[in-house]
Order: sequence, then C-alpha cells, then structure tokens
Amino acid sequence: MFAWLEKHFNGPQTLGESRFFWASFLAGCLFLLCLPLFADEYEVGNYTYFLLHAFLALGLSLIWGQGNILSFGQMVFFGIGGYSYGVFSVNLLKITQNTFFSLAMAILFASCCAGLLGYFLFYGGVSGVYVTIITMVSTMILETFMAQTAGPQWTVGLMPLGGYNGMTNIPPLQLNLGGEFPYEFRDARLYYLVAALAIAAYLGLRKLANSRYGNALVAVGSNPLRSEMLGYDIRMIQFAAFTIAGALAAASGGLYAAWGNYINPSVMGLTTAAMPVVWVAFGGRRCLLGCVVSALSLQYFSQCLSADGSQYALVIQGGVLMLMIMFIPEGVTPPLGRLLGRLASGIFRSGAGRRLPIERLENNGA
Amino acid sequence: MHNPLLQLEGVTKRFGGVTAVENITLNVFIRELRCVIGPNGAGKSTLFRLITGMYPPTGGEIFYNGYNITSLSTFERARHGISMKFQTPMVYYDRTVGQNVLISLQRHYDLEKAGKMAVNFMKNFGLAGMAGRLAGEVAHGYRQWLEICMAVATNPELLLLDEPTAGMSAEETARTAELIHRLNDLGMTILVIDHDMEFVRLLNCDLTVLHLGKFFAQGKLSEIQAHAGVRDIYLGKR
Amino acid sequence: MSTIFSVLYIYLDSLAFLLLSALGLIIILGMMGVTNMAHGEFMMLGAYTVSLSCNAGLPLAPAVLLATATTGLLGMATERLIIRRFYGNLLQSLVATWGLSLVLSQGMLILMGPSLPGVPMPLGGFGVADKSYASYRLLLPAIGVGVLLLLWVVLFRTRAGMKIRATMQNPEIAQAMGVNVKAVYLLTFGAGSALAGFAGALYAPTTVIGPLFGNSFLAPAFVTVVVSGGADIILGAAMSSGALGAVEGSFNYLFGSVTGRMCLLVATMFLLRCFPAGLSDVLNRRRR
Repeated sequence: MFAWLEKHFNGPQTLGESRFFWASFLAGCLFLLCLPLFADEYEVGNYTYFLLHAFLALGLSLIWGQGNILSFGQMVFFGIGGYSYGVFSVNLLKITQNTFFSLAMAILFASCCAGLLGYFLFYGGVSGVYVTIITMVSTMILETFMAQTAGPQWTVGLMPLGGYNGMTNIPPLQLNLGGEFPYEFRDARLYYLVAALAIAAYLGLRKLANSRYGNALVAVGSNPLRSEMLGYDIRMIQFAAFTIAGALAAASGGLYAAWGNYINPSVMGLTTAAMPVVWVAFGGRRCLLGCVVSALSLQYFSQCLSADGSQYALVIQGGVLMLMIMFIPEGVTPPLGRLLGRLASGIFRSGAGRRLPIERLENNGA
Repeated sequence: MHNPLLQLEGVTKRFGGVTAVENITLNVFIRELRCVIGPNGAGKSTLFRLITGMYPPTGGEIFYNGYNITSLSTFERARHGISMKFQTPMVYYDRTVGQNVLISLQRHYDLEKAGKMAVNFMKNFGLAGMAGRLAGEVAHGYRQWLEICMAVATNPELLLLDEPTAGMSAEETARTAELIHRLNDLGMTILVIDHDMEFVRLLNCDLTVLHLGKFFAQGKLSEIQAHAGVRDIYLGKR
Repeated sequence: MSTIFSVLYIYLDSLAFLLLSALGLIIILGMMGVTNMAHGEFMMLGAYTVSLSCNAGLPLAPAVLLATATTGLLGMATERLIIRRFYGNLLQSLVATWGLSLVLSQGMLILMGPSLPGVPMPLGGFGVADKSYASYRLLLPAIGVGVLLLLWVVLFRTRAGMKIRATMQNPEIAQAMGVNVKAVYLLTFGAGSALAGFAGALYAPTTVIGPLFGNSFLAPAFVTVVVSGGADIILGAAMSSGALGAVEGSFNYLFGSVTGRMCLLVATMFLLRCFPAGLSDVLNRRRR
C-alpha cells in the first residue's frame, strides 16, 4: 500500500512524501469515513459543505502554488458551475432521469468559460498581477450581472435565474434506478460521495503535479523566459492549468448548488472571492493537502466564530491572513509538516523521500 | 562546412531612438564555432535576443536551415533546435539542480529515461553530486555550467552562449573552453559572446567583431589582433 | 441642449469618480508597485473622519483636510508596520493588504455600527431645462483634474519629487546618492494614503457612509491605474479615466448604472488584453 502510494504519488512537487505522511493521510481518510457515524444529520450536512470546497482549494493550489498565477476569480467558475448545474438539472431531469449528467455538463460548461478567459489572458500575454486584477474584475462583472437577472425574461428553459435573491429549488444529485422514487444523494450519501471525490481529486492532482506537465508548470511559474527558451509553450501550459483550476472550482460550485438546492450572486462577491485565496495562503500554496486541510479548518473556525459573535469572524480572518503573509509566507502546513515529520521519524521508517529519479540514481551510483 | 545554418540578412533593431543593432548580415555555418566580441553596448546580447526571438527585429530577416524564422516565437525557435545560455544565469533558482536538468531533458524523453540521462549530463558538466541542491544556493560557476548543461540538454543544433565564463576562475574558464570544443566536435554549431580575450584565445575560432551595433570585422584571432581599427575601439581611440 | 448637458454631466461624474478614486493608488500601485487592496478602506476612513467632524460642527472644507491628514498618518503607520516587507512582491502585498482591508472594514463595523450620519451636500443645485443637477458633482471633476496637475508639479518640478522618482526607479542608486530611501518610501506611501483619504472625504456627502464605503471605489480605482500603466502615471491616469469614463458614462446614460459599471469592467478587460503595459505606454512608444 505504502509502496504503491509512494511509487505513484511522490515526486519533486509534493511536500509530504514520508511513510509518516502517508500513514497520517490514510488515518485522515479513515477519519473522514467514520465521521458520519458520530455526527447527527445537521453536522453531516455541515461537513459535506466544508468538504465540497476542497476542490476549489485544490484548483487554486495548482495554479497559484505550482504555476505561480494568483487567480482571484475562482469563484467565477464556482458560480458558473453552480448556476449551470441548476439550469441543466432542472431542464434535463425529465430526460436523463439523473442529475449527474447535469453536474458533468455544468463542469464542462464552466471549464469552457475558464478556457475562454484563460485563452484571452495567456495567449494575449497578460501576466503576473494583471492576471489577478482581470480575474478579480471578472468576478465582479459576473456578480453584477447575475444580480440584475430578476424577472421572467431571465429564465433559461424552466429555470429562472432569480437575480439578487438567487436561484432556488435546485434539485439534489439523484439517480433514477427504475423504482418509484429516485435515489437521492443527501446527508451521509452525499457526504461519502463528496469525500471520495475529494480524495480522488487530491491524488489526481498529486499525480499531475509530479508529471512532466507538472514539472513544466512549476518551470513556467519559476522562470517563464527560461522555459520558453527550453522550448516550452508557456501560454499553453498556463492556459491548461487555468482551465483545470476552473473545472475544479466548478465542481465545488455544482456540488454546492446540489447540496444547498440554492445559489445566489453573492458567492461571486469580492469577500467570498477572497476566501479561497485566504485558505490557500494560510495552508501553504505549494502544499496541495495543506490547502485542503486549511480550507476545512478555516471554514470550521469561521463557522464557530460566527455562531458565537458573528462580527469577529472576518476581522480575525483578515488579521490571520495579514500576519501569515508577513511572518510565514510559505503557509502553515509546510513547517508544521516538517516538525511533525521530525517528531515521528523515530517511529516510522522513512520512505523513498523527497527525491528525484536522478538523485536516487546518482546516490546509488556513488 | 558550406551550408549556412543561420543567416541574418540586414537585421536591425531599434529601441525608440536608439539603434542597438544595425543592418547586420551574418552567416553561421553548420558545425562552426564562432565568437562574437565587441565592447560594451556593441549589440551582442541584443543580437542573441533577436536570433532567439525574444525581440522582434525592426528590419531584416533571419533564416535557419534555409527557412525564414523571423516571425516565429521563442519557443518555436527553441523547438527547431536553437538553445541559449543567458548572460546572467537564468536557471530555476527555487528548484534543485537535478530538477533543472530534468525539466530541460523531459522535453524529449519520458521522466524515467530523462532521470537516467540527467545523471550523465551532470557528470559531464561538472555537476556530479549536486542533484539535490537548490540551484539558487550553488556557487556562481556551477550555476553557469548548470545553465549550459540545460541548454545542451534540449539537444540543440545551434547553441548560443552569452558570456559563459563571466565570474569564473582561470581554471574553470579553461574547463569551459574544453567543454565547448567537445560539444563542437559532437556536431553542435556554437556562437559564443565573450569579453575575456584569454578565453577567446582558448576557443581558437573565427571572430566577429561588433561595434556600436554594426558589423566591424571578422577573421582569426591573429588577424583581428593585427586589425588597427579593433584595437582603437577597445582602447577608445574613436 | 438639455440632452447634451445631461450627457456631459454624467460623463464628468464618471470621470471624477474614476480619477478621484484612483488618486492615491496612482502613487501606491503605479509608482511604488504595491497592490494595495486596502485602498478602499483608506477612502472609507477619510469619509468617516468627515462624517464625524462635520457632525461635530466643523465645516466641510477643513473636515476634508483633517481627513486627508488622518489617513496620511495612518498610511505611514501601515507602511512602517506592514508594507515595508513587501516591496517588489506584488502578490504578497496583495494578500496582506486584503487582510488589512478586512480588518479595517469589519473592525469599523464593530466599533461604529453599520452606518454613520451622512453629510449634507454643499453648494446646492441648479436646473437646466427643467432637470436639476448638483453643483457639487461638477466641482468634483475640477478638483480631480486640479489635484492631478498638482501631483505632476510636485513630482516633476520639485526636488522632493525628483527624489521620489529616483527612489522608485532605483532605490540602491538613490541611496548611494544620499537619498534617505526609507523615509522617501514612508512619505510616499503616506502621501498616497492621504490622497485616498482626501478622495473618500470628498465623496462622503454623496452617498451612505458605512464600513463598506470603500468597496464601490476599489474596482474603479484599480481599473483606472492598471489601464493607465506605469510609463507615465499622470498622463496615463488622465487618459484612462477619460476613456473609461466615456465608456461608463455613455452606457450609464443609455442603459442605466448597472450596465454602465459592467461595461466599464468589460472595457477594462479588453484594454488590458490589447495594451498589457497600459495606455501611457502606447503613448510613450508613439512619442519616440
């Protein structure tokens, strides 16, 4: 098991690679699996809500942590994913008898939008902070646009867009297996589905980050001119990363709409648009798992805070973000992981570790 | 030695009112080793950036293997076999030396193969045992070799080296010259920019002298040294 | 006649809005290269100062000056404590100042509640062909252009301005020439913040004053500065606010303010796509 994980998911771009890391990872998965057994219905729904944002964090970690492109517009694709899931599912439910197809369509549609914006940006030579500002502008455009879609003229098929109040009555994820009632993914079922997808997405991104493409992406992020001189098409590489990140954000958005049966334009507002950036900066943008863990825990904390005295949640979040960037710019998880790794190194035999094939070959040869 | 690999025809580059390179016509033949020299501001680095496509020329055309590549972008030219080492080492500072080489090699080979080849490459470029160190933390001379190694690892036909020995000791300079000869013997066409006359002597090749963005003289080192005009521009008579 | 005037009025209003909200950011982003996401909050603090002091009995003009001074001091404190670490690192400064903006706006919400008493708009109004207009709204573009000209004079015609430009271009060389680089950074950031506070103070009488006051200014400010580009910040700001103001104003006139704002943002995306280095860069290349 460990050997399999190490063989397929270790590489130069991922920080956690030891036996200890993988053991904790498996323990974490087990924890996720058991969580619904000890929680009531409301809590399970809540955990599902946290988990479905993992895709958003993973996408931003890919594009910002590996590709060095800070996108402030991930919520654009979250929103498009959510809204188009609503539109597709209502209109297609009778025909397809399930809503997974609509979810796939929603993700596809949002990826196309991400691809379009990515093409516009990267093939146009926009780079650095300008990408950040354009993506921020685009999230504001979409929020403004969706907020004025009230009224019957803004209806797509059977689904009104709903303007400022948002889109309601979005069907949950469901399969019709021929029985009288469709098999609906709610509560624990939805939770397990989302958890499994999140783990799969994480492992998939790890694989991607350590592949040839992943090497090329960090190369472009680290020094575009050098990469171009080595023959890499940097536009294509950045465009692809942006599209993948958009697709992941759309997955979060679609699941969000299916989870809450509701979505409104404020998910694309500036304050919400900053949330993924906060999670990823806090968790450490280079560390995919760190971003997921920080997304989950920051959401949990902000919910605890807003449950007690709502007003302090954002102040504390802002303060944390500021102090983080000032004092631990690489994020919390990498140093924390190193510390834990050192503490645990006595207990666990270290695995193949953080080495490239060349380094291993070189050491064997020497 | 009779087919030109690279032809520049009347290439000119202006930045606003400043003419950095003016009407240069130059042929570089297959398997040739050529050195481009000239005082500061002669337009040498600009010339390299024109050849690699980082700057579009204001006028003139560039041919490579007989094809007009003037409108191709940098990465396309790189894919056609032009590779370059920059004046100040341009490597991935936040990545290990090994990964730097790997990123270059994996353009043509899968990761497994590239990893094995990288070991040999690093050995040949004096980087043995450094695979795990960050490129930003190794000494300047090693970084120069790393960048040459990366440039060579893309398997280019035409290798452009912009001041490969800057900041190197005499011994390192000699090793670099030897390395360049070895690459040239393997069939690579190489253009070198350098200031260091000792290094140029070691390269023992044809020289092209640029001055104020214009072609000034061409020939063997002995001919150039005897050329009265060249001595003047270096000593500042004009 | 009345149509022409009302179009002109809307145009000048958009222009003033873009120009004034961008004023401080022209310096902070355009010259210093700090992506200050808390720009809107500095404007909010300016408006708060005006609201508090006006309602305590101070006339508007001295209240605006007081607001300028207050935000300037606050900006210097921010530079000293936070910004100093992030010069040359656009993305990190962006994230840090975003945190600061959350702290400031939400902190104000906790301290002062959701809104402050408004300030009456001075100067009254006038009518053109039985439509009424506010004179104050015509004063704002004049002030915007005036301050921009003043900025030009300070930057290009005074010793202090020369020191600032030298420092921003190459801090090491400026230091070697005897410029106190740290002080220049501190004061320049302070000046940028003061201008933000000034603009916020000027807009205090026109709208509701609450902790999210700055939000509506942030995007227009960034858009104006980014479209202007760094080659010539003064002329660039004039050009970009002129051009974008025309877009926003005309769509605003034809289809309403929401469409106007959306078209402004869309126009920005296209302008940036076509001129990644900004409008002033285009002009600079022409001039050569």
